[in-house]
Amino acid sequence: MARPMGPVRLKKTNPLTLLIGAALCIFILYFLLGSSAPDFSAARKATAASHPLSPPTSPFRQSSSGGKLKPPPVTRYNLNNVTITNTPIENRENVLVLTPMARFYQGYWDNLLQLTYPHELITLGFILPKNKEGNAAYAELDKQITKTQKYGPEKDRFKSIIILRQDFDPPLVSQDEAERHKMQNQKPRRAAMAKARNSLLFTTLGPDTSWVLWLDADVIETPPSLIQDLAFHNKPLIAPNCFQKFYNSEKKKMDERPYDFNNWQDSPTALKLGESLGPDDILLEGYHDMPTYRTLMAYMAEDGGDVHYEIPLDGVGGTALLVKADVHRDGAMFPPFSFYHLIETEGFAKMARRLGWQATGLPNYKVFHYNE
Amino acid sequence: MLPFASSGSKVTPRHHVSGYSNGYPRGGTFELSPHRFQPRGTTPSFRRRRRLFVRLGIVAAICVLFYMFVRPGGGSLFSLFSLGLLSSGDDFQLETVRYYDLSNVQGTAQGWQREERILLCVPLRDAESHLAMFFSHLRNFTYPHHLIDLAFLVSDSKDRTLEVLVENLEKIQADEDDLQHYGEISIIEKDFGQKVNQDVESRHGFAAQASRRKLMAQARNWLLSAALRPYHSWVYWRDVDVETAPFTILEDLMRHNKDVIVPNVWRPLPDWLGGEQPYDLNSWQESETALALADTLDEDAVIVEGYAEYATWRPHLAYLRDPYGDPDMEMEIDGVGGVSILAKAKVFRYGVHFPAFSFEKHAETEGFGKMARKMEFSVVGLPHYTIWHLYEPSVDDIKHMEVSQTTQPLEYNWSHQPNSWQQMEQEKLLHEQEEKQKAEKARKMKESFGDTASQWEKDKNEMQNIAFQEKKKQASSESKKSEKSEKAEKPVVKPQTEERKEGRKEAVEEIGRKRKGGGSREKSEER
Repeated sequence: MARPMGPVRLKKTNPLTLLIGAALCIFILYFLLGSSAPDFSAARKATAASHPLSPPTSPFRQSSSGGKLKPPPVTRYNLNNVTITNTPIENRENVLVLTPMARFYQGYWDNLLQLTYPHELITLGFILPKNKEGNAAYAELDKQITKTQKYGPEKDRFKSIIILRQDFDPPLVSQDEAERHKMQNQKPRRAAMAKARNSLLFTTLGPDTSWVLWLDADVIETPPSLIQDLAFHNKPLIAPNCFQKFYNSEKKKMDERPYDFNNWQDSPTALKLGESLGPDDILLEGYHDMPTYRTLMAYMAEDGGDVHYEIPLDGVGGTALLVKADVHRDGAMFPPFSFYHLIETEGFAKMARRLGWQATGLPNYKVFHYNE
Repeated sequence: MLPFASSGSKVTPRHHVSGYSNGYPRGGTFELSPHRFQPRGTTPSFRRRRRLFVRLGIVAAICVLFYMFVRPGGGSLFSLFSLGLLSSGDDFQLETVRYYDLSNVQGTAQGWQREERILLCVPLRDAESHLAMFFSHLRNFTYPHHLIDLAFLVSDSKDRTLEVLVENLEKIQADEDDLQHYGEISIIEKDFGQKVNQDVESRHGFAAQASRRKLMAQARNWLLSAALRPYHSWVYWRDVDVETAPFTILEDLMRHNKDVIVPNVWRPLPDWLGGEQPYDLNSWQESETALALADTLDEDAVIVEGYAEYATWRPHLAYLRDPYGDPDMEMEIDGVGGVSILAKAKVFRYGVHFPAFSFEKHAETEGFGKMARKMEFSVVGLPHYTIWHLYEPSVDDIKHMEVSQTTQPLEYNWSHQPNSWQQMEQEKLLHEQEEKQKAEKARKMKESFGDTASQWEKDKNEMQNIAFQEKKKQASSESKKSEKSEKAEKPVVKPQTEERKEGRKEAVEEIGRKRKGGGSREKSEER
């Protein structure tokens, strides 16, 4: 007689209640499953790896069983089948978005979320320094990631996200604009930056990546179709023009001005200047005491010009840059040393050139930098 | 007995023997607990109706569930159930965010104690015949296998390399012994459309070298960029046709705690060619002559070591070997050979790679060494720590062996050792079955190492001889630089070659052949 009332309840159960209960169960089940749009999750699951030891560009299935892991499977990747075309969405091509980050800008994240390229094909890679600034940036980044990947709508969620932390021998010192742009600080700063970029690139570039998009953490506004638009040109390296929006006190309205001066075409003066330098010296762009007379893409933008207008480039900046993964696989990296008197992204363009890949610029296609 | 007790009266006796006193009527005499609550009886029609409802409900539920299972994309329902029942992974447990701290994977001298992961990279091309030997090495590594991730690049292969590779790897992962299981295993397939012929002669032709080495560099970079992960502390490059190497080679090299480190690579030879020979000439120290030479060449030229066309007079790691020397002795080098390189993963993370273009007039592994030096990493070689490369006879060797066999058949009936060599070459010529070749190889391995003890003395003499000649060479080089290359390397030739009928003329050819054969390119190209 543990449950003296048991029989009473059974007896009073109305078949109608049972029916309603069943209907409710089905209703709940339906919404549980319906909430994760079946098409997406099927596609996502197909690309997921079965073992934690796997390319980080794909998610992996966590094993909740406490027992011992099975040895990892023998996995074959046929890189002959990785396509790189001007119709990346149709061909389901994976894009790796790489960002060295010292400071987190909400505008950057919001801009990422509004990209129209299918998010289940986008992998994000971040590298942050291991200092106070880096910790603060990581905390904010992590908050946004959790919000998007765990609680955000399915279509906003990215395929996978890789976060790297690293100490840099000369730590990425203050990111203040004035300090950062001092000329004598440039070589060690850019060498450290190049190492950060390379570390990020070579550990995340998996076997299924088709495109690599370099996007600086302070780029806060791009056209939503950035990836498709740049890929459409089908160039090994392609850079949009980076501008900055500011309040023009003369005109009393918002205006824009060129920001990234590392996209340029070489000049005879610069080449001659290079010859006069020691083997380890570098040429820098945008400093008055070192006039190079290079043709800067930043100044080539025309109001209302054709956004598809292409120009060849000899040096590129890293603020926004779409690169075919094959270029990096061939070995093109960001030299942390003087490579033909060039360093980091500019040296990268030169190294790609040595490997037979030409850089291209789009003077009238603009992305916008954060204004400090 | 009281009369009313049996009369069926509704009145319950107050002091009945059975002691029930709750006022309820007694039912049947044998009722055990007659005072339990008795529900109002359900009418049969009501009961039937309810049964009908329940049945209808069950049918409806089954229909709905069936529909959910069957419709496309319904797989997620399975996962929903298996979540609870089988606790297997599903999309609710997809891990999409990964966090790595690269300062934990810098690489230390005692990696096996700190559980540091190694990425073992093996480029392969038409290497089916070497795989059996390679896997025997793989099984014997003493470094904890679960800390080693394997990555293979199979490119432009026309034989069954891929199938044999997969078969062997799956066998290892399914091994009963847990200690045999390796970590992540990736096989990268990529065809570069290499046009260059892979036979020994064309592989070592001078003209083809530059473009060949650039292609190989490209292949190595593709393999590395696809396989390097944020959790790797070390990267070990190993050619598939290393015949003999210590099982502890990973720990031995790691112990030095250098950014890039290579052992000395030699190869055994048949007795009539001198018993052994330096193999990898790509590990060297830079020389003034070579730097001056580099300045005269155009931007895309590639200096390849071991060819008369480029006389560099560089000290080679290979020639400095002393069989009795301290195996821990280190030597700073500038160019490295690719047969067996252990490097900290941070070297590759920071951007050092195998230049597929002319980097300071070098490409591939030599360019790798140069680039590592440029980025201020330590690059050392171990002159007295030797691993042995497989000997593959050149066309000339095979001819010679054929000739000597037909002209002196009796000799081989008595002397066992040359016999095995002869047989092997013949088999290769006759394209005999792979099985037989394997057996021969095993035998050859045993033999070439059986007699090393007796060789030590001879080797020592030779080494001294070579050292002496090197000195002379360097002295003369001041004045005559590049023209003299041919003569200078002569001391390498062993006296045994004189046995040959053609004598001197052949000896000269031999030098040429050895030089060509000397490069690690020989092997790395093998894939």
